[in-house]
Amino acid sequence: MTVDAGTLTAILVMAAATAFNRAGGFWLMRLVPVTPRVRRVLDCLPGAVLVALLVPGAVQGAVKGDMGMLGGLAAALVVTRLTRSDLLAVVVAMAVAAGIRAFWG
Amino acid sequence: MTKPPPVPLTLAGMAEGARAMLPLMPGIAAFGMAFGAASIQKSFTLLEATLSSALVFAGLAQMVALEGWTQHWTAGSLLALGFLTMTVNMRHVLMGASLRPWLGTLPAWKSYPALMMMADNNWAGALRYRAEGGSDAGFFVGSGLITWVVWVLATAVGHLVGGGIPDPKAVGIDLVVPAFFIAMLLPNWKGKREAVGWGVAAAVSTAVSFVLPGWWFIVIGAVAGALAGGFTDDDR
Repeated sequence: MTVDAGTLTAILVMAAATAFNRAGGFWLMRLVPVTPRVRRVLDCLPGAVLVALLVPGAVQGAVKGDMGMLGGLAAALVVTRLTRSDLLAVVVAMAVAAGIRAFWG
Repeated sequence: MTKPPPVPLTLAGMAEGARAMLPLMPGIAAFGMAFGAASIQKSFTLLEATLSSALVFAGLAQMVALEGWTQHWTAGSLLALGFLTMTVNMRHVLMGASLRPWLGTLPAWKSYPALMMMADNNWAGALRYRAEGGSDAGFFVGSGLITWVVWVLATAVGHLVGGGIPDPKAVGIDLVVPAFFIAMLLPNWKGKREAVGWGVAAAVSTAVSFVLPGWWFIVIGAVAGALAGGFTDDDR
């Protein structure tokens, strides 16, 4: 159980960077007056973040021949629409992705 | 300017938040173990791997940083590491900004520690919780804490077990968190504004991911989508 000084420094640099990110946006918004327009942009932000996080990876995967992520996400979309159950969405998406990869992987 | 009254932050809310994350925990654990196991390749000791997960608490950034990990850190390589970490996790800046209207009512000694618990999944979970009328900040803290505990423990287990962990992709483990995001996101769909905002976010982020190296596609796509949606006027 040892910690190398260089490794520890590198970990602390990463910790500082993530802490800065976590607090930075929240802190900045203190300085921005929340007009109705800013409010609408903020309301749209969460959905936009999640879409920007999910879609490129799924498309990149599909381009490289792995349809698992795209198929799984589509399955999650359908299940959520029908049931609103997040557990079911997760389980069905996993099954669909694993199935696609087993047959066409 | 009068401040709105602070939102509640209760133990009951924390328990509710923790419970809401349960479907995700197998996925979080699998990725924590994958990081723990991968860190062995870069000569992390058990304590170093666990410390990394406990202090950095950002799976994607930790995995990406591992690729360029070295045994000999210089001022230059440390600076590059800090910059890489910030760009990979730049979305946290946007996510934190979106929490201002909610957690901004709390005193700073509560809101900033709560923000340190922010991860993609508890932030997304809180998104749906808020859309369904919840306001207890404990939900955010509790859902973050359970994620942190499972992430750190799983990292240690992964490091101890080492190799022999099945390929997460073969069993679809890499779908757990994305599918959960979809389940959290979809109830926020209300109409034209989301169609425009999410459509622009999808198109811009995907286009950027093919053109620009690195992780800029997330934050550029998200900002483009939020602006497009926010400037779409409908009858709301």
